[in-house]
Amino acid sequence: MKTKVFSLIVLLLTLSLSVSVFAAPFDPETFVYVGGAGGPQTLDPAAAYDTASGEIIHHVYDNLFQYINGELDNMGPMLATEVPTVANGLMSEDGRTIRVPIRQGVKFHDGSVLTVEDVRYSFMRGMLADPAGGPMWMFFEPLLGVQTMRDVIEMAGGSGDFADIKDVDPAILRKAYDLVAATMEVDGNDLIFHLVDPYPPFINILAKGGSWSAIVCQEWMVAHGDWDGNPDTWAKWYDLAVEDMTLYDQANGTGPFKLSTWDKSGAQVLLSRFDEYWQGPASLKSVVIKNIPELATRQLMLRAGDADAIYVGQEDLPQVRSMPDVVVIDGLPQVTNTVLFYSFTIPVEGNEDLVGSGKLDGNGIPSDFFADVNVRKAFNYSFDYEAFLQEVALGAGVTPVGPIPQSLPYVNTEQEYYYNDPAKATEYFKKAFDGELWEKGFEVGIVYNTGNNTRKTALEILEYNVERINPKFKVNVIGLEWATVLDKLRSASLPVFVMGWLMDFPDTHNFAVPFMHSAGTFAGYCGQGLIDLAKEQFDELVEAGIKATDPEEREKIYFELQKRYVDLAVGMPFMEATTHRVMRDWVQGFIYSPAYSAQYDYYTIQKVQK
Amino acid sequence: MLTYIARRLLFLPVVLIGVTLLIFVAMSFLSPYQLVSTYIKSPEELKNQSLDDLVRKYGLDQPVHVRYVNWMKNLLRGDLGYSVSANMSVSEAIAKRFPATVELALFAIVPVVLGGIWLGTISAKHYNRPLDHFSRTFAIIGWSLPDFVFGLILLMVFYGVLGWFPPGRLSMWADSIVLTGDFVSYTGLNTVDSLLNGRPDIFWDSVRHLIAPVMTLSYLWWAYLLRITRSSMLEVMNKDYVRTARAKGLTEKVVMNRHVRRNAMIPVATVSGSMVLGLLGGVVIVETVFDYKGIGLLTATGAQQLDYTLILGTTLFYGMLLVLINLVVDILYAVIDPRVRLE
Repeated sequence: MKTKVFSLIVLLLTLSLSVSVFAAPFDPETFVYVGGAGGPQTLDPAAAYDTASGEIIHHVYDNLFQYINGELDNMGPMLATEVPTVANGLMSEDGRTIRVPIRQGVKFHDGSVLTVEDVRYSFMRGMLADPAGGPMWMFFEPLLGVQTMRDVIEMAGGSGDFADIKDVDPAILRKAYDLVAATMEVDGNDLIFHLVDPYPPFINILAKGGSWSAIVCQEWMVAHGDWDGNPDTWAKWYDLAVEDMTLYDQANGTGPFKLSTWDKSGAQVLLSRFDEYWQGPASLKSVVIKNIPELATRQLMLRAGDADAIYVGQEDLPQVRSMPDVVVIDGLPQVTNTVLFYSFTIPVEGNEDLVGSGKLDGNGIPSDFFADVNVRKAFNYSFDYEAFLQEVALGAGVTPVGPIPQSLPYVNTEQEYYYNDPAKATEYFKKAFDGELWEKGFEVGIVYNTGNNTRKTALEILEYNVERINPKFKVNVIGLEWATVLDKLRSASLPVFVMGWLMDFPDTHNFAVPFMHSAGTFAGYCGQGLIDLAKEQFDELVEAGIKATDPEEREKIYFELQKRYVDLAVGMPFMEATTHRVMRDWVQGFIYSPAYSAQYDYYTIQKVQK
Repeated sequence: MLTYIARRLLFLPVVLIGVTLLIFVAMSFLSPYQLVSTYIKSPEELKNQSLDDLVRKYGLDQPVHVRYVNWMKNLLRGDLGYSVSANMSVSEAIAKRFPATVELALFAIVPVVLGGIWLGTISAKHYNRPLDHFSRTFAIIGWSLPDFVFGLILLMVFYGVLGWFPPGRLSMWADSIVLTGDFVSYTGLNTVDSLLNGRPDIFWDSVRHLIAPVMTLSYLWWAYLLRITRSSMLEVMNKDYVRTARAKGLTEKVVMNRHVRRNAMIPVATVSGSMVLGLLGGVVIVETVFDYKGIGLLTATGAQQLDYTLILGTTLFYGMLLVLINLVVDILYAVIDPRVRLE
């Protein structure tokens, strides 16, 4: 028996040693990126709104414009032949008419040749499909001044509050179609966009990095069961479940790589080089994008050379810095902001775990606790921004000067901002509620979503600093599951919460709306009190900011918005994070752009063995 | 026996309705906005969208009993729904991930059971002697080690240092053949399919990927079987018929193999049955560490993301498996011990 076991072990080891026969040698034409948890959700450009999906779409499709070398201030044409400006006559003086000449001779992966009709179809189809939770608002806002197709149906005289689009009168649907169709016009080989108002970042929305503006092939789409362009049938494809959309897991773009396989059960996507790419074929022949949740496994794959690049969280970077033959590129600028929000009108009933008694009696907080500007300012002066940046974020970022990241234009970097000052915090706490707060104290639950330890630590810093100002102040840091956080956000029940915003397109407006407008993403989560304040202080300016075409005028408006936001301490922006990449040293030609949702632009990458 | 089997199988739908009903009752405690987190998986994905539109789109605002009836109707049509976390239909997800788990279980169960029984027999035979202490200590260390620790140690040694047993189910080159070539997937078990396709290189590659997770599972589970086998054998060794066997001059080998071990196997069969069930249900941590995409990882990810369609589907499947495997174990009792009658 023992002999048999021993023989078996020897056989196994011998076979194992012989695996080098099968092991793949260094392959300069295949790139393997191993991400963390979470693969793409859909490959349909009209629905994709997450970075993992953007990673694939970025390489399979092209857009009308591109950032040269990834630089945000260096816009160039892509499937267009020129970038429209007033100077070259492709943009009208008022900025509302934009003519885009389309490149000739560009081939799709199936061999079809790109036409201007394909470009128009791409945007029309996306807007008419408008999947809930998707990115198509970026077209509705500049082209029609609304947010969704439901709004367009309302514009057409119907009700936007329908349960099923089949219930909507076909005549209304046709009218809604006409409204969308009127925003784009084909003239020869040019596509002309008609904007409802000037919208300076519209070109950015159409640029590389934006999954939503990827160009698809009409003929191929129709052959694969998508909308055929008929004005009376579009509703059949409206707001489908993502998995029912035509481009959910198949693709035919003009990009440098073709989609070979999306192996969902293996959580990996295989891309292969498109040899007829109009800008010339890529150096890499194939790209594999995998997702492995366990960091140690990813690290070992990088070390073994089975992965060329991997995802490593900021907190784990020290683990890979010392790895041989591995390069860490950090300090890459992102256009993002992490903000601590206050809810101005907090429901008390059913929310006792966070607001306690619901009264200003030392055992809780009243519903309008954060509606008092003094409380907000006191909290803002209690946070130690520098300690957080250096000790928790390990220096990977900068402290903001308002809700708009400083890498964007029209940000007043001289704006006086909050800093950790216990004396000032004390002063504002004493002023709050006419001194009653200081006398009676309070107890409040502040929330982070479990698993996000960086946010937890940020809240603990705030807890420590507030509690040491007055022993009657009690702050409880509470971790809740994301599902519960979402539920409480919907009812504006979180007195304090932390959220981030990563830009969709590099323009100040993309931050002004979510952070300041009464209809923005975050206002609804901060209660009626903030909505009222936003209507009074911000809405008019935010709307004027996007319509202004004169840079000086825009600067004046956004400086004023920034000042008001900081003066009113609407929230507490506390981090503009940078990002990083971890790769083997044989990876060359890496280009970074904050505009890309893709981690890497594989078109520019080469592998050169050292 | 046939009546017994038929009765047990008739009980199956009752079990399945029971477990799915329980999940729906648990779900009724969740608000539509908690359930919408399946579609908005993290704060970073909370963009410029209306939560109400998503709730309406996916019918999350419907009363729970309406959702259950709809789900049942679809189930009767063979439609288990769509899993957001797996990016495919639930039945497709199970069909694709379960074979991976079966493959791992098939490769693991033999060393787990045989190794456990072998160690248990040695311990019992050398009761309270150094070999007994050694084998028990060896196995208990395995039992006490957290699976992710031992898994990572093995991965580090056998992949990081030696480069022998990589993570995943297949190497990249083999994957590209299996996914994009003319390779036909008959069973979903890479080892079997590779042989059927005449690709011994892929067969060996898939075996290479199975060795480390199998080693991990074996070492972690040996202690359990060792203890059951050992105590069961010790009990049998004191029986009169064993004394009689020895008295009539049978060799120790015959006594142990024919009279002791066979009679000590009933509790071992029970435990082995539950082990098979455990393996087929997926071993989340081992699957995570070795990037082995089986049904355990699928279910765990679904649960984390509140993907209730997937949870319902896998529960239904697992419930079915549970009833069937327990039935097989009961039948095995009758085979091992003729005194057991299935009525």
